[in-house]
Amino acid sequence: MTDIAPFAGFGLGLRRRHYADFLEGTVPVDFVEVISENYMVDGGKPLRLLEEARARHPVILHGVSMSIGSAHGLDADYLARLKALADRIEPLWMSDHLCWTRSSAHNTHDLLPLPLTAEALDVVCDNIERAQDALGRPMLFENPSSYLTFPEDEMAEWEFIAAMAQRTGCYLLLDVNNVYVSAHNHGFSAHDYLDGLPLDRVRQIHLAGHQPGDIIVDTHDRAVSDGVWALYAEAMRRLGPVATMIERDDKIPPLPNLLDELARARDFATQTWEAVAA
Amino acid sequence: MTALAELQEGMLARILADELPLPHGWTARHEAGLEIYRNNYRTALVEALRSTFERTERLVGEESFRRAAAHHCIAHPPTSWTLDLAGAGFPDTCAELFANDPDVEELAALEWAMHRAFPARDAEPLDTAGFAATTAEFGEADWIGLLLDFLPGLSLVRTRHDLVGLWSSLATLEGAADVRKLDEPQCAVVWREGERPVFVLRPLWEGGALAALAEGGTFGEACALLVDELGEERAVTNAGAMLARWLADGIIAGIAQ
Repeated sequence: MTDIAPFAGFGLGLRRRHYADFLEGTVPVDFVEVISENYMVDGGKPLRLLEEARARHPVILHGVSMSIGSAHGLDADYLARLKALADRIEPLWMSDHLCWTRSSAHNTHDLLPLPLTAEALDVVCDNIERAQDALGRPMLFENPSSYLTFPEDEMAEWEFIAAMAQRTGCYLLLDVNNVYVSAHNHGFSAHDYLDGLPLDRVRQIHLAGHQPGDIIVDTHDRAVSDGVWALYAEAMRRLGPVATMIERDDKIPPLPNLLDELARARDFATQTWEAVAA
Repeated sequence: MTALAELQEGMLARILADELPLPHGWTARHEAGLEIYRNNYRTALVEALRSTFERTERLVGEESFRRAAAHHCIAHPPTSWTLDLAGAGFPDTCAELFANDPDVEELAALEWAMHRAFPARDAEPLDTAGFAATTAEFGEADWIGLLLDFLPGLSLVRTRHDLVGLWSSLATLEGAADVRKLDEPQCAVVWREGERPVFVLRPLWEGGALAALAEGGTFGEACALLVDELGEERAVTNAGAMLARWLADGIIAGIAQ
């Protein structure tokens, strides 16, 4: 299995509202990230647009339906289609979420939480190994935001993720907003979380907005909060060069607003790396 | 069943149904978290259906559509990994819920066919000159045994309403629905022209012949259907014209070997 080299780029999600900007203009990003499933189709406009975007920018394929934590294993048709897309697009890398989305019969299209048990860890590791073998490349898996934990839990989420990365050789997509959301919702320390992760396996960071409340909801529908920026700065002090992306999926603003947020991330990271180097 | 499978089946069942009791050891905090997942599930699916069936929503109104979509995603939870297929069966749900307004089901079926044509496999249509060149040496037996390949994504929707007028009238949010019954049922032929799904209304007899050929029947078998519907004389006249229309529309991808 090949390694994924660190890439200190700054990018945005490619969303329909901004297609024209990305395909007709010059957008100052180092990569774009797309939702894999939107392009796992037979033909037509979606694939043509993705190929045009790929001609201009490196592309990351970010999936939402692999269901790596499914007790019922992985969907062979899904893996075959994802591999075909990857062979066609040659992405920087491919990622999905540490979660489950489907049962034996139905798909929820939501990122559901896993019990943090030895049994679930075995299932996740088996599924990751199968996915990486089928795709012929290592993947990144993203820490989830969650709204409940299970009485069955046997370990902390960061311990689960560290064991997962160690056993499978997968890489990590660190969603800083998700750490912030889950730390608030479940009462753990976000700093303990960062301390417990194998940070040398992180290749990408996601930043996004959330809906505040007694239970914080990961909505991706607003600007990144001050608390998440502070945690990002903390993460960047501990990480070497990694890619950073602003994730926005709802109430998508004009592109300049997102580029302003991305510039803030770039400044944070650059200053931090310079300070660490000095 | 493993403990993890049991937990996942149980959680999914509780996302789909509000009334199931909480698992042992769950608190009000768990219930509040579960409610967020339940809401996310329903919102994502209803939004997917709104996106796929936007004209149907305009026809029945936002609130009626939301109720129908919520009913559909509870009664028919999605089975595919792609949200694109969440609307599978929604026309049947419309037939059930809007039983007195058959135009709703027909419009939903047309939107579903257009939705499925959009990402269909790419293929170039065969033009009239290409078809003529290929069939130049055909004898009678060749014509009777002729098999055609149609563009991927081609499908048919039977209708009793003028879907052309209805489709056009609902193109914008402000449009008033133009629901007009046809003198005779017709067939909407749906395919993708370049990157854009399109449709035309055609007589039922033409739809029957097209369906037979699309399912692997021969041109001779399709012509036999025309004879049954139109009588021999009109069938002969119409068969050639029908083939010419299909070539002009660009729905034939090639002659099957």
